[in-house]
Amino acid sequence: MAPRKFLSCIKCLAVASGIAVATGVAFIYSGLYPMGADDRHTALTTWTLETLRERSISRASAGIDVPADLDNPERLLAGGADYNDMCVGCHLKPGKTESDFTLGLYPAPPNLARQTQDEGDAESRARRRFWTIKHGIKASGMPAWGPGHNDERIWNMVAFLRRLPDLSPEQYQIVTARGSTDSDYH
Amino acid sequence: MKRKILCWQVTLAVPALLLGFSAQAHEPEKHMKEAEKPECAAMKTMDPSKMDRDDPVMQAMMQKCRDEMHQDESGPHGSHADHSGEDKKGNEKSPSKHEH
Ligand code: HEC
Repeated sequence: MAPRKFLSCIKCLAVASGIAVATGVAFIYSGLYPMGADDRHTALTTWTLETLRERSISRASAGIDVPADLDNPERLLAGGADYNDMCVGCHLKPGKTESDFTLGLYPAPPNLARQTQDEGDAESRARRRFWTIKHGIKASGMPAWGPGHNDERIWNMVAFLRRLPDLSPEQYQIVTARGSTDSDYH
Repeated sequence: MKRKILCWQVTLAVPALLLGFSAQAHEPEKHMKEAEKPECAAMKTMDPSKMDRDDPVMQAMMQKCRDEMHQDESGPHGSHADHSGEDKKGNEKSPSKHEH
């Protein structure tokens, strides 16, 4: 008697999960899912995606060695110019609080010029930032910059990001300008 | 007949134009000319008490503006004849750059 009961339970589970999968597939094909970036996730989806992202990046970046000379002014200049060329449209700069990208992208790019509440130490933040810039973030606007930029260049941007919230608009302009003053005179 | 010729002209002209534009965009010298210049005059209006020479940001700015700062330290302001408004103001009022 008992084995037969067990078998029917298995059968029941199999049928139930079969129906669940079929419903899921039917939903995907139905076109009912709202795909627009202006349609917000539910709280549960948001939690799932954010937790997935945070855990994944923490794990993937854990073994990265942070260079000891991130305070080098040369790094700030190189990283600043790159940031101003490639990132400012999405991640803003001192004196700028929104752009078409910050308004329209979902998830919205964080304002990297604003002081953030410390989550973790500077070292692990640098590691996570390096990894994020190099590999990007799937299904978000954040591109992978690894193809086309070597590690040194990415570290320069990480170095610049550390100081970015301290900069005034004038300081930002000087540090990120690609040109030099001397071409004026000679 | 005429229409056929026009059609050919368009099909040839469009790729030719596109090619022309892209070649222009990638010319490195053009980029150099467009490179934004640091507005070093702003450094003179910054609060001197907040300018710490050991701060990497400060060092980076001084490096960027070295040429301009150098001229400042090495002699009379007359050498600034062709400068931005900030410098000219300084020239007219007094030779001191710490006036404000
Ligand atoms: C097209 C817009 C876009 C551009 C350009 C872009 N990013 Fe992002 N970035 C994003 C978005 C969107 C996120 C957030 C993704 C998410 O929340 O899942 C992000 C996240 C990040 C993060 C993680 C922030 C944090 O605190 O978790 C860093 C660091 C970062 N970007 C750096 C850069 C750098 C450096 C550049 C330039 C080389 C750059 N980004 C260019 C859109 C962009």
